[in-house]
Amino acid sequence: MIGLTLTAAPLHAADPDAAALLARLARPAPDSTSFVEVRYSRLLEEPILVSGHLEHRKDGSLVRSVEWPFQEVTEVHGENVSVTRAGSRPRRFTLDRAPELRGMLTSFGAILQGDRQTLEQYFAVSATGAEARWEITLTPRVDKLKRHLSRIVVNGVENRPQCFTLTEPDGDESVMVLGITGPEALPTSRERGALRAWCTDGNRQ
Amino acid sequence: MTKTRRGLLLVAWIATVAILGWIVDRHLVIGADLRLFMPSPRTPQERLILEEIGEGPASRMLLLAISGPDPQAAADTSRALAAALRASGEFRLVANGESNPGAIPDSLLSYRYLLSPTLDHSALDAGFLRAQLEERVRDLSSPAAGLLEPWLPRDPTLELLKLADSWLPARQPQLLYDVWFGASGKEALLVAETRAAGFDPQGQRKTADALQRAFDDSRTDGNLRLESSGPGAFSVLMQERTQGEAQWLGSASVFGMVILLLVAYRSVPVLVLGLLPLLSAGVAGLAAVGMIFGTVHGITLGFGFTLIGVAQDYPMHLFSHQRRGLDARASARALWPTLATGVASTCVAYLAFLFSGVRGLAQLAVFTVTGLAVAGLTTRFLLPSLVPESSRDAADSARLGRLWHAIAELPRPLWLGVATALACVAYLALSPRPLWENDLGALTPIPPALLARDSALRQELGAPDVRHLLVIEDSDAESVLQKAADLEPKLAALVARGVLEGYDQPARYLPAKSVQERRRAALPDADTLRASLNEALGTTPFKPGIFEPFLADVATARQLPALGPADLAGTPVEARISSLLLQREDHWTGLATLTGVNDAGAVAQVAAQVPGTTLLDLKQASEDLVAHQRERILWCLAVAAVLLVIVVFAALRDALRVRRVLAPMALTTLLIVALFHATGVSLSLFHLIALVLAAGLGLDYALFFEHAADDPAEQRRTLHAVIVCSLSTLLVFALLALSTLPVLRAIGLTVAAGVVSNFVLALLLTRPSRRTAG
Repeated sequence: MIGLTLTAAPLHAADPDAAALLARLARPAPDSTSFVEVRYSRLLEEPILVSGHLEHRKDGSLVRSVEWPFQEVTEVHGENVSVTRAGSRPRRFTLDRAPELRGMLTSFGAILQGDRQTLEQYFAVSATGAEARWEITLTPRVDKLKRHLSRIVVNGVENRPQCFTLTEPDGDESVMVLGITGPEALPTSRERGALRAWCTDGNRQ
Repeated sequence: MTKTRRGLLLVAWIATVAILGWIVDRHLVIGADLRLFMPSPRTPQERLILEEIGEGPASRMLLLAISGPDPQAAADTSRALAAALRASGEFRLVANGESNPGAIPDSLLSYRYLLSPTLDHSALDAGFLRAQLEERVRDLSSPAAGLLEPWLPRDPTLELLKLADSWLPARQPQLLYDVWFGASGKEALLVAETRAAGFDPQGQRKTADALQRAFDDSRTDGNLRLESSGPGAFSVLMQERTQGEAQWLGSASVFGMVILLLVAYRSVPVLVLGLLPLLSAGVAGLAAVGMIFGTVHGITLGFGFTLIGVAQDYPMHLFSHQRRGLDARASARALWPTLATGVASTCVAYLAFLFSGVRGLAQLAVFTVTGLAVAGLTTRFLLPSLVPESSRDAADSARLGRLWHAIAELPRPLWLGVATALACVAYLALSPRPLWENDLGALTPIPPALLARDSALRQELGAPDVRHLLVIEDSDAESVLQKAADLEPKLAALVARGVLEGYDQPARYLPAKSVQERRRAALPDADTLRASLNEALGTTPFKPGIFEPFLADVATARQLPALGPADLAGTPVEARISSLLLQREDHWTGLATLTGVNDAGAVAQVAAQVPGTTLLDLKQASEDLVAHQRERILWCLAVAAVLLVIVVFAALRDALRVRRVLAPMALTTLLIVALFHATGVSLSLFHLIALVLAAGLGLDYALFFEHAADDPAEQRRTLHAVIVCSLSTLLVFALLALSTLPVLRAIGLTVAAGVVSNFVLALLLTRPSRRTAG
């Protein structure tokens, strides 16, 4: 699994609710799901929206294909990331140089695989809510992650995670909404608060 | 001479040798630059070739591979190793694929628009900026956002990244864990350029040690293995192998010599005394070289001692003629004319090398001539007083008597000698194959497995070709860089055509000042840029005002003076540029290294289109140089041969005797050359030196046989001396001939064959007829 070799923080028993919840969320690879990602940057006046598909392959690699409003494919193989946009040379880097991405992938992958051990190695895990509508908050334990990542909040309904909200220390934030195919499913207001509330309330289906 | 005076003389002699030896040891510097054995350059072109052979970037390139079961550990070690090597001071440049914009020093940040080619094809206008900003918005939504975001306010066109990318090799291995890996994904790859020249084995040895230490300190996993390949690594390896084998063979031959001398003279004092002239010769030779040249090359040292090994023969002649009642001094006096002729003529032959135009050979000549002269003189004037009286007389040996008799019975086919000589000359003249080996590498061949590995690594890393190189020459750096810029599109076209896989040239890192100034002039003024940026920002979601650092940087860049080579001192770019742009005394040289040359002719054509640019084929050029050098040496040897005949004639004063003395040696030389040619051995410089050595030995044998012509007892003593001499020499060189290294084998085979042939021919052609032997 991604980054297993990094550190070995002592294991803390998670909230019993979280443990039960995580066990239910596991999905075997291969798995593919559509997503819409909303990214708030301190350089931007309004967030950027993209949509596409996330694919979790059998070999453990993850592919993020952006289909709208432009084409871009990101592949993550182990530590190596390549981002290819139509018409330009692939940009390659490793997770060491993109700690936010490492945090995101670690949490995402661990949740999909039901790998609580990895999750707890990097994050303090807490859960609130009920079985029908829940929220898991992941707070980084590792210094390297802490500098680039404040927390990841995962909101979901029953055994489906719906929103991954990643907040960075400088205020940048990205919200990845799973299972919807386009921005029209999102609330009309793109304010962070509105989107947060929408994720927490789970007011869609 | 009394016993006391004898003792005093012995002590004084040994003390002189010891003191001189100590002084030499203190002051003499042993050099290792192999180019000392290459011809001295006479034209600027030749000088350039020699400089490039030893100092060009390709000759300094080491290819490194770190392999192990865990690629992540190999990658971590690659990073740590690269940092350690950069800090070690032994390397000019270390690359392992790591790149990040932070690697470009702050002092150069503002220069990015002058160094990057962006402004050559686009202007910083609203249209270009809008396209760039749209890309940046996409970047911010991509997983690379965290990486790029901090740079955007200062560098919205990502010029730094483009620059860093353009400085990476055109074709590079895959990146895993942020560093280069081989196609198998199991080995982390690095390229390092050593500070020591490729032709400096001592410097390369030091570098190899530093590399091993750095690896031991950096490795994160005991299972990791480091391999290094390249000219420097090979020179260290071959030097070790040569030294190891030479040492082993040397010890074996010393042991054999001691046994042989004990059997021949049955006396330990004689054995020890026999070494004194040789030791004196060695020390005197070194002192002479030290005084004249200041340094002595390691090869001169090793080779020189082999050559003055002949001096070991001188005392043996004295010893073999010892008998009861004979004062050794009288014997020495009697032998001296013959010995002196031998010493003088051998010295004349070696003098030829003094004028060869090769510094290493000139050193060798001084060493050998001084050494042989000292050995001859000490054998004549010091040794006889010390030789103990012998109770044995070699002439008493019945076996030697029968042997001499048997030899005297042999037919003397003089006509056969003439016929053989003619046949050899005809064969050599008519053979279509080249007689000489021009490839220096053939003498110290690198094991094929290592070569295959080297070419595989070179392929993966896109490392430059060690054979071909484009050289750009002009009077100043600016013109060289300008020409490099003219060359750039032509080389790019060659890559596109598949003639070439890649190239590197100095203008990639440092464009000509005129180019930088043109780009600077293309930078818009503050107001224009602000207006364009505002126009471009109109349609993007960027906050207003965040690109102020970018506007400030461009304003700064508009005031910057163009960078020259000296301005890069202390930056990482200096390392790159310093190996590709060199200042010679009065002119500048730019080098374009080439990778994967598939058609050298096409590259040469392109070079011809830019004045002052030439394609250097280092292999061809060095072979031409070697051929050139050999021609000169052969001329010197021809002159030496004439002088030698004059010396021998002056000593013997009889055409018939001169002919008898010279015939074995001349015929031997012809026979060996013909024999080697027939067996497919190409001759090299080392064969040539060995042939001179063998000829010197043959001359000595013949002189002594000729000297003993009339007296049966003297004949037996001479036979004894020559048998001991030739057997000891044969032993040393036959052992050398067993070497697996062609250079040692060449010397060993040549001299061993020479000894046998000279001995036999001296007996057949020089020994007196039965009548006179009576």
